[in-house]
Amino acid sequence: MAAARAGRWLASVPMAALALATIYPLVFTTNVALKTRREYVLDRFAPAEAPHADNLVTAWESAGMARYFTTSLIVVTCAVVLLLWLGSMAGFAIGSLRFRGSRTLFLGCLAALFVPFQVIMVPLARTMADLGLLDTRPGLVLAYVAQFLPFTIFLMASYYAHIPAEIVDAARIDGNTTFGVYRRIMLPMGTPALISVGILDALFCWNDVLIALLLMPSAGNRTLMVGVTSLRGQYSDNIPVFAAGVLIAAVPVLVIYLFFQRHIAEGVTAGSTKG
Amino acid sequence: MKRPARWAAALAAALALAGCGSASGPGQSTGGEHKLVVWDWKSGDPSAAAYLEKAKADFAGKHPGVTVEFVAQPFDQYYTLLGAAIQAGEGPDVMLFNGGGRIRDRVDALVPLDPHVAEDRNRLTGWDAFVANGQTYASPVTLQGHPVYFNKKLYRQAGLDPDSPPVTWTDFTSQCATIKDRTGARCFALGNKEGAGIQFFLSGLGSGALTDQEYRDWIAGNRDWSSPNVKRIFELWAETDATGLNTEGANSTAMFNDSFAKFQSGEAAHVIGLMSDVGHWQDFGEFIDPGDLGVMPAPAITSGAAPSLPFDGGIGYAVAKWTADPAIAADLVRSLTTKDALTAFHADAGAIAADTSIDVSKAGPVVSQIVSGISGGEPALHVALSSETLDLMGRLSQQLLSGSVTVEDALAQLAASDRNG
Amino acid sequence: MGVDRLAPYVLVAPAVLILVVLRLYPLALGVNFSFTGDGERDGTAVGLDNYATLFDDPLFLGSLRNVALLVLLLPVAVAIPGLLATFIYLRVPGHRVFRGVYFFPAVLSPVIAGAIFNLLLAFDGPANAVLGAVGLGPVDWLGDPDIALFAVVGVHVWATFGMALVVFLAGFSTLDSTLLDAARIDGAALPRLIWHVIVPGLSRTIQFVFVTTMIGLLTSMFGLLYVMTGGGPGGATYLPEYYIWIQQGQLDRPALASAASTVLFLVMVVVGLLQISLLRRSGRVD
Repeated sequence: MAAARAGRWLASVPMAALALATIYPLVFTTNVALKTRREYVLDRFAPAEAPHADNLVTAWESAGMARYFTTSLIVVTCAVVLLLWLGSMAGFAIGSLRFRGSRTLFLGCLAALFVPFQVIMVPLARTMADLGLLDTRPGLVLAYVAQFLPFTIFLMASYYAHIPAEIVDAARIDGNTTFGVYRRIMLPMGTPALISVGILDALFCWNDVLIALLLMPSAGNRTLMVGVTSLRGQYSDNIPVFAAGVLIAAVPVLVIYLFFQRHIAEGVTAGSTKG
Repeated sequence: MKRPARWAAALAAALALAGCGSASGPGQSTGGEHKLVVWDWKSGDPSAAAYLEKAKADFAGKHPGVTVEFVAQPFDQYYTLLGAAIQAGEGPDVMLFNGGGRIRDRVDALVPLDPHVAEDRNRLTGWDAFVANGQTYASPVTLQGHPVYFNKKLYRQAGLDPDSPPVTWTDFTSQCATIKDRTGARCFALGNKEGAGIQFFLSGLGSGALTDQEYRDWIAGNRDWSSPNVKRIFELWAETDATGLNTEGANSTAMFNDSFAKFQSGEAAHVIGLMSDVGHWQDFGEFIDPGDLGVMPAPAITSGAAPSLPFDGGIGYAVAKWTADPAIAADLVRSLTTKDALTAFHADAGAIAADTSIDVSKAGPVVSQIVSGISGGEPALHVALSSETLDLMGRLSQQLLSGSVTVEDALAQLAASDRNG
Repeated sequence: MGVDRLAPYVLVAPAVLILVVLRLYPLALGVNFSFTGDGERDGTAVGLDNYATLFDDPLFLGSLRNVALLVLLLPVAVAIPGLLATFIYLRVPGHRVFRGVYFFPAVLSPVIAGAIFNLLLAFDGPANAVLGAVGLGPVDWLGDPDIALFAVVGVHVWATFGMALVVFLAGFSTLDSTLLDAARIDGAALPRLIWHVIVPGLSRTIQFVFVTTMIGLLTSMFGLLYVMTGGGPGGATYLPEYYIWIQQGQLDRPALASAASTVLFLVMVVVGLLQISLLRRSGRVD
């Protein structure tokens, strides 16, 4: 036991180093955001002499971020709600119900995961234009749903496949229809997985630049991340303002993560039944 | 039956929810009769605000009923987005282009402007960069070129005379050796991460290596990649790095932030920079005292070469094929190149405008020297190449620096690519 | 009851509809597009010309070689979060802090992570300063064709291991802890514990992480490549997705880009199927 304890201390040294390596870039970005451009060019790594919030203000105002923030919030919220809802329905059907084609669907989702966005980039823009959804919020929401649905279904199906068939059968004997089983049993039982997947989906959508750029060409419709990247003009070299934009964009996600962190780690024990 | 119906209702509600707020969004991106949409990567820049205001005011005077919306796209993704818009067949009415291959690759989607801009012909310079198949597709806004800038302070510290910079390559390299010995500064600040360093090198120094005839042939499209003088340029590209004339780690140094920053902080005595936008006199003036910044003609590499200023049209606005009324859009392009507007652009953004009658005396001696070289200037060598050849040249230039390709092999590949292009 | 037999189909219908319209149809469009020409031959059928061009292009072949390299690096990218999760599960000192902090990089957009690491890995940057302090020569992290791809993959792993870690930890919480306790009382050494208790117990989780990590490696490196190396130096860090983007956006050859897309899709499917069958064959999946 003593040896094991020593071993654990030994493991925690490199882990602490790694922890520093994960935090440092964020610290670095924060530091840069608090510098003037001149300070940054002369020395990138020194602590900001007189930290000031000018860059944050510049980033927020020059990019019209307030509006982008709203767009991002609405689009990401709608997309995640839709993803979780459609994903959990399909995941439940594929994971715990036997029906003709369920296996094909599962493999189809797996195959869809393997399609990089670049592969369908141009035809998708054309399809969206044909549907009249180019440059609209619903269009972007649907594009995100399409992009991350295979991942969501795959995850939910794997999760629901773990829930013993007896539970479903018992609920049926109690007089539930399939829809009832989904709503009364599977949704509540799937909560831990739904939270984890929801956070990941929210993160993907929030951080996406490519899809939003492609499908929302007009200035008024930008998402926050696109607003941040456009802070880098053709040769713009005001890195501190860019860093400030990065911070503004990263804060909401960090807050969400910290808020739900316990839920994510607190165990997906609901799926394992004992006796 | 009741439950599925309820699900369907819920689904409809969710889809309606997904549309929340979309009503407040703007309508179509394509302009109609009374609206013109412009794409560029400049309009978000505060330094372009006065320029756009003057241009808009001029246009409003001609077409009071037409609204104009400027959309600033991130430059990184600009041409990709434009390509997607062109393939989807709907996009902006007017768009900004870099001169050269960028616009020549896409003239199928553009309206020839020749009948509309005849009056501007003599007033503006730099048209050739926007010409394809004998027709003009954009009006030049700025001029772009590649002067050799140098840091006079380092010259003085090394005991050299900054007012008579070296005129031959031999003198140039020996003075660089002196500067390195006495100040520790390298000869060139080089960033080749994007593979653009070679373009600057080729165009910035090419007029010192090629004969007049070779130069003219090159621009006209008869390029002899196996000529000794062309080969010399590429040999020098590899040599300058191998002999420690460049700042270190050129292949992983970005040009537009890092290499120019190195020049500004005195780590290198020279940099082949630009005339407009960035990496130019106005940028450098922020950290280098105006009296310490110099600009020199390319050193003569081969005897018989007559160094000249390499320059072309830098950026220009073009009109898309699908716009409702090309004449109105062309009027907007003209408003974007009025002398008033360009004067503001020069003053705020530090651009060398395509209208060379603009007074640049306030901008300092370096600018006057650059502008005086325009009349004797020649088109830049790299602008004559296709995007594909430029892309290949960028990759080969990195391989030349890392020693994984020989000059002969690189030139053979470039010749093949150029023939196909 | 008739309705109930149809229930599964009702449940999957909306998802299937969206995927067919916005994934499958564009994919088919793209494949169809890959048999047409670019530029002057726009819209005309050219058969397999684009594919011939692709497999003549050393750049594209190089990008496929890089895919092979990434597949070889995959076990490392999975082992790192797996080991870290194991240690956190075994409650090494500070495990709570680690669990919270390790996810931070995953919050950053790749574009941003890349921009930050550009500064950290610059030739005159802090990474080389540290090496210099230890007496090692500077490394041209992003400028040496033999190193650049590994540097980018390293940053990718740094930016994504938090995700895999969360999945692993979720898997650990389903693990029967009595097994572990028994193994610990036996004084089983850590490697044996991992091999005989944890790996079999987490087979599904491991399979899942393998698949998602591979997808991440092969399809979401674009942002990092774009910002960190631009495919350089000399094309050394080209991946097919980057090649597609360049042909499509910079060189305006959408049909060739579609052909490259089709090849990439096929490669992904083959690699994915191989991987799943390998994991199955190893008998570690129920």
